[in-house]
Amino acid sequence: MRRYWTGLAVAAVMVVSGCGLGGADPQAAPASTAAATGEVKGTVTLQTWALKPKFTTYMEGVIGAFEKKYPGTKVEWIDQPPDAYSEKVLNQAASGTLPDVTNLPPDFARPLVMQDMLLDVAQVDPKLAEEYVAGGLDAYKFRGFSGTFGYPWYLNTDVNYWNSELMKKNGLDPAKPPATFDELVEQARIFKQKSGGKAYLMSRRPELGDLTQAGVKILSDDGKSFVFNTPEAAAVIDKYRAAYKEGLLPRDVLTDTYAGNAKLFNEGTVAWTTAGANHIIAVKTDNPSLAPKVVPSVAMGIPPLYVQGLSVSKKSKNPAAAIALARWVTSPENQAAFAHEVSVFPSTKASANDPFFTKSDGTNGGDAKVIAFKSLATAKVLQPFEVTEAMSKFIRQQIALALTGEVSSKEALDAAVAKCNELLNQ
Amino acid sequence: MTTPLLPAQSALRRRIIPWLLVAPAALWLFVFNVWPSLNTLVLAFTNAKPLSGGHFTGLDNFGRMLDDTQLVDALLNSIVFMAVCLPVLTFLPLLLAVLVEKKIPGITFFRTAFYTPVVASAVVVALIWSWLLSDRGVINGLAQEMGVLQGPLPFLTDRWLLVFSAITLTVWKGLGYYMIIYLSALGNVRRELHEAAAVDGAGPVRRFWSVTVPGVRNTMLLVSVLVAVSALRVFSELFVLSNGTGGPGGRAMSLVMLIQLYSRGFYGHFGYASALSILLFVITIGPMLLLARLSRKAA
Repeated sequence: MRRYWTGLAVAAVMVVSGCGLGGADPQAAPASTAAATGEVKGTVTLQTWALKPKFTTYMEGVIGAFEKKYPGTKVEWIDQPPDAYSEKVLNQAASGTLPDVTNLPPDFARPLVMQDMLLDVAQVDPKLAEEYVAGGLDAYKFRGFSGTFGYPWYLNTDVNYWNSELMKKNGLDPAKPPATFDELVEQARIFKQKSGGKAYLMSRRPELGDLTQAGVKILSDDGKSFVFNTPEAAAVIDKYRAAYKEGLLPRDVLTDTYAGNAKLFNEGTVAWTTAGANHIIAVKTDNPSLAPKVVPSVAMGIPPLYVQGLSVSKKSKNPAAAIALARWVTSPENQAAFAHEVSVFPSTKASANDPFFTKSDGTNGGDAKVIAFKSLATAKVLQPFEVTEAMSKFIRQQIALALTGEVSSKEALDAAVAKCNELLNQ
Repeated sequence: MTTPLLPAQSALRRRIIPWLLVAPAALWLFVFNVWPSLNTLVLAFTNAKPLSGGHFTGLDNFGRMLDDTQLVDALLNSIVFMAVCLPVLTFLPLLLAVLVEKKIPGITFFRTAFYTPVVASAVVVALIWSWLLSDRGVINGLAQEMGVLQGPLPFLTDRWLLVFSAITLTVWKGLGYYMIIYLSALGNVRRELHEAAAVDGAGPVRRFWSVTVPGVRNTMLLVSVLVAVSALRVFSELFVLSNGTGGPGGRAMSLVMLIQLYSRGFYGHFGYASALSILLFVITIGPMLLLARLSRKAA
């Protein structure tokens, strides 16, 4: 009998260990920011996200120039692969091995700020506001925390992309794409009638950003509760729900991820997607024959602002060199050189007048770049950084359920708000 | 000439050497099984998050389960998954094993063909199936071409169709694995018993129920427990087929998908995810207990 229970206990341990979870201790107390203004010398680590191998030459040039400008410095460059970057950063933060300078988008930076792991660069760099655009800096200021926790690096926004061939084939004029949601639904109806439901114009589910666009407040002013379950928000979802019921959207929208509509667009199944300024490069790779037929236009409503930045670890043993390196990589010259290689946009004010961003070379990629650059002037961060991965997933699931008609839009939003508040306050 | 060991030295060796031999495996087991399991147990009573240790919260995480509608859905899905997979994957591989056991020319090809899905990656297989089952996939396309369907069936967007698609995939992928287990068990069923039954006038069906099934009863018990435990822990099939979303409303999520959802990211809720892991453990221990009881009875 005893042997039987021992065997059972071992088996049980093996079952549970398949789902084993590890805890983490908070990182040790931060170093003083006073050292950040010292001599720029010594070794400093820089971590970027998915720049190798495409931008290896560019980054090596930037690093080489930094080491030349500051003799006695050595930069150890680590580039992490695109997948599971958040897990990698999380492990580094939990084990106290965060590099001196790390590429962190604001939503990755916030949890580290909450644990006092990042340096307030505004404190050691008084010229910050003069040199970087406000939208970029604002993305690194977090509710409830005083300071700016990263140098904005490059910016991007969404552009509308239209498949001109599919539009013409299905009775639409690609030169006059819809500019509002109502026009979109109207054109989607014509498109559906012509295509017989074999192709679609629309293929995206509403997200939190759509609610922000409609003037719905997502989070209370004190940041302590989500409040987006309003009649106005329900009205936004109701519009999509009606379009779905009418068969104007493919069923894929119920289980697609955020990038789902771009994927269907690249496959040639749908005629419209929103994506960043460099999306045509992805189309050229996925579906080369489609690329020349793509026509870009300005995004509907308020364009979303996407920010990438470089943050400095508070535990850095060489903060002066780390600050200098972050400034160097995000300097107007280096940002402009980077933006000339790929369609991203500098976060420095000095780059605003670069004709490269305001004049198209006549290609659809060039047009998209100009449209995106002009859109950045009005672009905003549409989703609060308090929204976590689990919250986003739950919200998407509820919106999908509302689209199917199983619950009303208001019920879906109520459930989403209740879950988000539960997760926020735990 | 070697110096003989003193009795005391020899006794010491006898005591130490077994421990030294077992040490690497024991260390591995402790670091990768025992320690994470104990840690999970401790975390289940805290509000731990990835970057903060958390505080003791008593039974709060378990109380929270009572109000979690997603958990109810996930539990139901996991139980349905097990209820369907258990009989199908216990009997179908046995029938298959009986068929391919026969020594006829070309049978090796069929054995290999049936086993091939086992060696394929679960994620890759699920991706292929998601292409087959999508609205514009081969299955819907063929069914519409043949006039069987007017419009595509929502295999990947309707809760129960999604769950049953994942079950079909699991069965297809698992058949070969359990078939191999049964093949080795069938080798131990005495041939004379079949011959004697045939002489007594038993047909193939009667011989299957009266000779083959009793002969592999212990293996069937083992297979049924393996199937039950893996069905309760289903993840890849449902995750890939639903594109990671768990379907509209997340209503096609499994218990492991729910654990994954809460344990991921910078804001992961390790405490609650650990409590869910404990729940999963309690559920999966059921089939093991049943096997232990049935084995004792059989003995």
